[in-house]
Amino acid sequence: MIARPQVTALVSLQRHYAGSVTRFTAYAIDFIVSSGLFAIALAAISYAAEVITGHSIAWNKHDLITGIAYACWYLLYFGYSWATSGRTPGMAVLGLRVIRADGAEIDPWRGIVRALAFPLSFLFFGLGFLGILVQREHRALHDFIAGTVVIYAWDARAARLRFLAREPLPSASPDGIAGR
Amino acid sequence: MESAAQGIAERVIDLVVQALDVNALLLRIDVNAVIDQVDVNELMDHVDVNELLNHVDVNELLNHMDVNQILDHVDVNRLLTHVDVNQLLDRVDVNQLLNRVDVPLLLTRVDVDSLAGRLDIDEVLRRVDITALLDRIDMNDLVGRVDVDALVEQTDLGAVIAGASGGLATDALDEVRSQAVGLDQFIDRWVARLLRRKKFGPLAPSALLDAEARP
Repeated sequence: MIARPQVTALVSLQRHYAGSVTRFTAYAIDFIVSSGLFAIALAAISYAAEVITGHSIAWNKHDLITGIAYACWYLLYFGYSWATSGRTPGMAVLGLRVIRADGAEIDPWRGIVRALAFPLSFLFFGLGFLGILVQREHRALHDFIAGTVVIYAWDARAARLRFLAREPLPSASPDGIAGR
Repeated sequence: MESAAQGIAERVIDLVVQALDVNALLLRIDVNAVIDQVDVNELMDHVDVNELLNHVDVNELLNHMDVNQILDHVDVNRLLTHVDVNQLLDRVDVNQLLNRVDVPLLLTRVDVDSLAGRLDIDEVLRRVDITALLDRIDMNDLVGRVDVDALVEQTDLGAVIAGASGGLATDALDEVRSQAVGLDQFIDRWVARLLRRKKFGPLAPSALLDAEARP
């Protein structure tokens, strides 16, 4: 049975290795965001070219140039995010962070290596991601290559306070901080 | 005639008190020996502490006393063994006493570190009925005396309050995150069952676990 963890348990789970559902959801958000931004950029380029030259550019997703541009954008999106803050926008939404396997903050070069190794995990029907599901530290192939792990890193303490604020204790005194 | 005699007596007492060097006098007394001789609880039964406190200008008294010097002469733990703290507290109107004491002045005159070093705090706490004590304290008044601005400035309370006050989006985010964590744990349990794992692996990188374990 799927049980939602208690709010207090969420606080104690912080800094623990993040599981498969959270990571996959974060990736799904990143995929939508990065693809959306890429599509907007292509549309903007097309519009600018049409205004300047009078000829429209028709982008084909099977086109080599489009593919290379998308790969470069993909690497930039993930590489820059991991190298600078250890989290992509999708990971920020789900409260995840990439750190070094020993627990230290991620170095910029590790972030770039992780982004370069990331596509390798998709090979052989995503076999590289199997580690997230079965490995004890939930590490994928690109995590092993870059020497990184992903942990829960959201402010669960504040979330707990928000939860308590939403659901006041029934025994709370109505006339002040404490009854005499 | 009687009032004149009373007036003279009061003036004499005033002159004696002014001439008296309280600190020098205290230095000549073996306070611990005196404490041993006194049945403090018996004495307390005969004294209306609140009435006594009403007659004492505590701040003026503090001005005349070298509190640290007195405390140096007192074996605090030995004193506490003679005192029924709960009985003493029952007889004291704590709120009234607090109103009459200039606490900052008192604190400037006490070497708190030295006092705390000599005190068996566990023993004191064991002897105090905290619930009864709290019942007698006006918490609203006490909280009203706290400098909240300074408290927020000196702690990370401000950050916590700011983080804790969220709108609909923040609530939705909390919900999504906690649901996702719940699913993570559900899948982890099933994977562990399928792989017949007896033991779970490390929960977090060792450096972070060590940091968590540290107080």
